[in-house]
Amino acid sequence: MHAPKALESRHALDEWSGAGNPAYRDPLVGSVPFRARRRAAWRTALWSVLQYLVTLLCLVTVVFLLPRVMPGDPLSALQDPESGLFFADEQARQEVLAYYGLDRPLPVQYIDYVTGVVQGDLGWSISRNQPVSTLIAQHLPWTLLLMGLALGLASVFSFVAGVAAAWWRGGLRDRVLVSSLTGLQSVPEYALAAAFLLLFGVLFPIFPLYGARTMFVEYGSWLDATGDVLAHLVLPLAALTLSLLGAKFLLVRNSVLSALGTEYMMLARAKGLPERLLKYRHAGRNALLPFLTVLGIQAAFAVGGSIFVEAVFAYPGMGTLVLDAVEARDYPVLEAVFLTLAATVLTINLLIELLYARLDPRVGAE
Amino acid sequence: MTAAVDAQPAQRRASFSRIGWVGVGIVGTVVAFAAGAPLLTPYRPTAPSGAPLAPPGGEHSLGTNAVGQDIASQLLAGAQVSLLIAVIAGGGSLVIGAAVGVVAGWRGGHTDAVLMRVVDLLLATPRLPLLIVVGAYVGASLWAVAAVIAVTSWPPGARVVRSQVLSLRGRTHLRATVGFGAGTWHTLRRHIVPEVGLILIAGLVSAAGRAVMIEAGLSFLGLGDPSRTSWGAMIRDAIDFGGLLYTDAWSWWLLPPVLAITVLLLGFTFAGLGLEEAVNPALRRHRAVPA
Repeated sequence: MHAPKALESRHALDEWSGAGNPAYRDPLVGSVPFRARRRAAWRTALWSVLQYLVTLLCLVTVVFLLPRVMPGDPLSALQDPESGLFFADEQARQEVLAYYGLDRPLPVQYIDYVTGVVQGDLGWSISRNQPVSTLIAQHLPWTLLLMGLALGLASVFSFVAGVAAAWWRGGLRDRVLVSSLTGLQSVPEYALAAAFLLLFGVLFPIFPLYGARTMFVEYGSWLDATGDVLAHLVLPLAALTLSLLGAKFLLVRNSVLSALGTEYMMLARAKGLPERLLKYRHAGRNALLPFLTVLGIQAAFAVGGSIFVEAVFAYPGMGTLVLDAVEARDYPVLEAVFLTLAATVLTINLLIELLYARLDPRVGAE
Repeated sequence: MTAAVDAQPAQRRASFSRIGWVGVGIVGTVVAFAAGAPLLTPYRPTAPSGAPLAPPGGEHSLGTNAVGQDIASQLLAGAQVSLLIAVIAGGGSLVIGAAVGVVAGWRGGHTDAVLMRVVDLLLATPRLPLLIVVGAYVGASLWAVAAVIAVTSWPPGARVVRSQVLSLRGRTHLRATVGFGAGTWHTLRRHIVPEVGLILIAGLVSAAGRAVMIEAGLSFLGLGDPSRTSWGAMIRDAIDFGGLLYTDAWSWWLLPPVLAITVLLLGFTFAGLGLEEAVNPALRRHRAVPA
């Protein structure tokens, strides 16, 4: 869908002014009639949204089919007084059975299920005996907070570090950055979080280790409240950010490296531009578009990472919800967690794709 | 080596770098420990065999945990689980990926389009939540966990193999082979598989590393095989123990499995890096770490 190569430049001057730079606007593109470009852009956007919806529907279908095709399925165990999963609680059992609608034909069940999910009905939690959507609403904000901040921080750090490493290519600082961040990529999030737990729990006990807020505390002002939430956020956030650094760092480093040898960099240098401008505006800019793509891919990793990190620090997001649900084999909760997190990741990716089309003048231009 | 930007002549000879050997050494050491487990420790990893939270030394060389299980035997059992998963799940995902990649690349057309949509769908789905929900349904034997990992982690391999097969398909010697009337099976076996073989081996190492990481993560979340001791489950048990940080127990209970999984994964990463460079010499130009 995206144009793979820069458009061919018509003038020798283009070579000098940066036609090799993906962020550069080629005069050719500007000459395509404005309305035609608009229409093409709309078509691209519409297509992305359509793909997004189809993917979501596929995932909902998988979740619908899973309990119905698995051998020794938990649904029949729920109704069997002999089994360990049998619900003694009459109301909960009726709620669960009504939710799955097992007495009706499969297509009817499917349509009911999809309509329910679209309306925000995610089922009934077996272990907590309340609607799953309530549980999700309680836990999702904490995960989004943790994930969003970690992705943002990791983006800034990895961008700066990537540009710096490419700038000092081959030097000691470059080698230290590359080997430490590559190594960090193969440390699993739960191991990283456990290391943080030990480091700050045993050696430097300065940050709270569990939860997202101090329990049973009445805050004097919103400032106290924010401070408390931030203090609890430090360790999980640090662990998750570190685990996300590696991939983007290597990408930025490589894009900047390939920009360094180009002629537009030589020209910029010859113009006597200050180093900061050369680094970030000319070389670093090359990395922005692939950077966005990787950010989308990383959203999926951040979701997994935050589940682990939250599990270690008992942070009240989706991770702790998953942990409890796994222990109780609370299938509706696990399914809902999967659907919510998948929808979050897909939405982030859709937004990035739409943004990409706006940032890259080549998308939708042909 | 300062040759990051300036192109140097690509070395034709496939060589294995030092970092690759370090990785092979690490994985080899873990294999040796796992294989020698019965000789190294007399205790069963799942049964209590001493006083709870005994510090290292004496009868239990690496101490015991809160229920008196021997840490050394648990670590060795965990190594066995990780390596089994590396072989079964890593190999399984590679076999599925290679099969899908070859079929998609060779058949092309609608087959290719459908298979690649499936790949896109799986790649777009966040893997851990998917693994959790599927794992919870499938159950928790070692084989089930390995199967779930294999079934959800083949798409990257399929993509690589497909693009290789696509580029091979257009070459003259393959067109000649088909022109001479060679069957699909013969062409695949004699011409395609040998050509993508090296890439498959590099793929196997990284797939194995990922599988080990995922298995430890699943058992950390309580979805592993409860009849076996996995490093992930050890980390979970230690963190769940309320008094962990009030005694020194963390140093012989939590730290060893954390270090073990990290070192083994680093081993797989290094070996994978070495192999990838041996397969694809073009990679050597952009590296900063000297070979």
